Amino acid sequence: MTADILEAKAEPVEHEDTRDSRRLGFSLTLPAQLLILFIAVFPILMQIYISLTDWSPLDGISWWQAHQLWNGFANYTDLVADDRFWSALWRTVLVMAICVPAEFLLGLGLAILFVDNFPGRGFLYSVLLVPMMVVPAVAGYMFFMLFQSGGPVNDILSFFYGAPVTIAWLSDPDLAFFAVIASDIWQWTPLMFLILLAGMVGVPEDQLRAATLLGASWTTRFRTIVLPRMKTIIIIALAIRVIENFKVFDNFYIMTGGGPGVATETISIYIYKVTQQELIWGYVAAVALVILISLSVVSAFAIKRMSQSREAG
Amino acid sequence: MNRSMPFEIFRYAAILSLVALSLIPTLWMVSMAFKPIAEWSATGAELTWWPNSPTLDNFRFLFGESSSDLIVALDRTAGQPILSSLLSAVFGTIIAMMAGTSAAYGLSRFGSGGNLPLALIQLRIFPPMAVMIPVMIMWAFLGLIDTWYGLALVYGIVTMPFAFWLMKTFFDDMPREIEDAALVEGCSRLRVFWKITLPMMRPALASSALFVFILNWSDYLIALLLTTRDWVTIPVYMASLSSSMTGQLYGAKAALGLIAAIPPVVLGIAIQKHLVRGLTFGALKQ
Repeated sequence: MTADILEAKAEPVEHEDTRDSRRLGFSLTLPAQLLILFIAVFPILMQIYISLTDWSPLDGISWWQAHQLWNGFANYTDLVADDRFWSALWRTVLVMAICVPAEFLLGLGLAILFVDNFPGRGFLYSVLLVPMMVVPAVAGYMFFMLFQSGGPVNDILSFFYGAPVTIAWLSDPDLAFFAVIASDIWQWTPLMFLILLAGMVGVPEDQLRAATLLGASWTTRFRTIVLPRMKTIIIIALAIRVIENFKVFDNFYIMTGGGPGVATETISIYIYKVTQQELIWGYVAAVALVILISLSVVSAFAIKRMSQSREAG
Repeated sequence: MNRSMPFEIFRYAAILSLVALSLIPTLWMVSMAFKPIAEWSATGAELTWWPNSPTLDNFRFLFGESSSDLIVALDRTAGQPILSSLLSAVFGTIIAMMAGTSAAYGLSRFGSGGNLPLALIQLRIFPPMAVMIPVMIMWAFLGLIDTWYGLALVYGIVTMPFAFWLMKTFFDDMPREIEDAALVEGCSRLRVFWKITLPMMRPALASSALFVFILNWSDYLIALLLTTRDWVTIPVYMASLSSSMTGQLYGAKAALGLIAAIPPVVLGIAIQKHLVRGLTFGALKQ
């Protein structure tokens, strides 16, 4: 009886509170929602419209009048036949396929070396993190200097070779590709190291000690105790690098401008160049939309898979 | 895990060689920044790894003092680009933190926001290059091209996901008893947020803001597309330090690169503890 009264009394208060807090919650998230609307939703609608036209900023008509230059799906059919687009896309995937595993293995190796304490650990740890904090454009410029034909890389090679070496790294297609890859691995291995080490430190000591007492070798312990515990962290680290690597622009563009020819032209550099130099924005909009849609599908699928495996685990 | 002597030797050898590899590019730039023109333009056999006669000429040159060895003078000094980088990154950080923090609180306490978390991840996955055409058109229409506030607005939106996720994990970690106690005392929800939660979150807010600032300061592509002359940022301005007439002004570029590199490295080391949380969208705490 008393309980009923209490509940009856409590209910309207509770109700008012949730309505109030729902209103407050809504207004707290409103600015973020509006900003997203402003930079994602509205621009994408605009992009869909422009992508169906031949519009260019040099046509002298405003973008909303672009329907005068309507060309239906011509941009999309052009895209299918655009070799430069496909080669840029393939090159971006190739960059990911080289950089991400290399950064992962180097980062994992470093994390293993750093997992327990030794004199100087804290200092060396900080020093190793420096590359990822350097502004990527500046990192691109650093590597641009290093790989000059009269620069320090050739100087080191000359020292080992015994005679002056003057390799023109950035003007040979294959070597330029190697150079930009090197800059990416240099800059982002620390990120893998940082994340993997944080995951490795979280593995409980007592389990490892028990396994050691039972006579498990280091490799067995690593494979059966450490790695399974790090599964989620490894997936997160790889996902972050795959996403960021797909967008790569700054250091590549500063080192080579996408050249020589198109030897280091990734998808971002390709879009940038078509935007700036050829100025056919209707076409660029189509390219950008195709990429956005493919990425949305892939990422939605990946996020769903990840949250499913998290619920299962 | 293993404490045998050969392992220790191997460990130090491996670590020190990787540390050396990771330091060489940075040290080379530092060295170039302090070299006089005769040394930074040297190649091949004359190449020196460390400045023989260190000088601040490169920095003086950036700020408009023409040196006797270098006949060229800059038509624009590095002052304005540095100011532009600072203003856009600082105000971008303010926008991102205000929108991100309040949205994070809304989601963490009231579960509101609907698809916002997913939308913010998506925003992070999209290459900026693929949404910039409409943004460039909109910004031209609004008169925001080549202004620091136009740039700051884009920065604020682009880095908001980081502010949001970082602050959300901090709010989730915070014990609610204190807030509940204040609510029982009769404070309104908003007052509790403003007077109790936010002051308690000061360290978290500071490290999130620094993290977001580093991201904004590091941008190149967005500034390249949205600024043209008056408000170009440091990395965009850097390209103007080479021309067909003068060739590459290595020394000046290295000096400017050093100026650009110092703030994120110093701040990054200061917030080391929270880097993992920030970089993994709060999925992993150190």
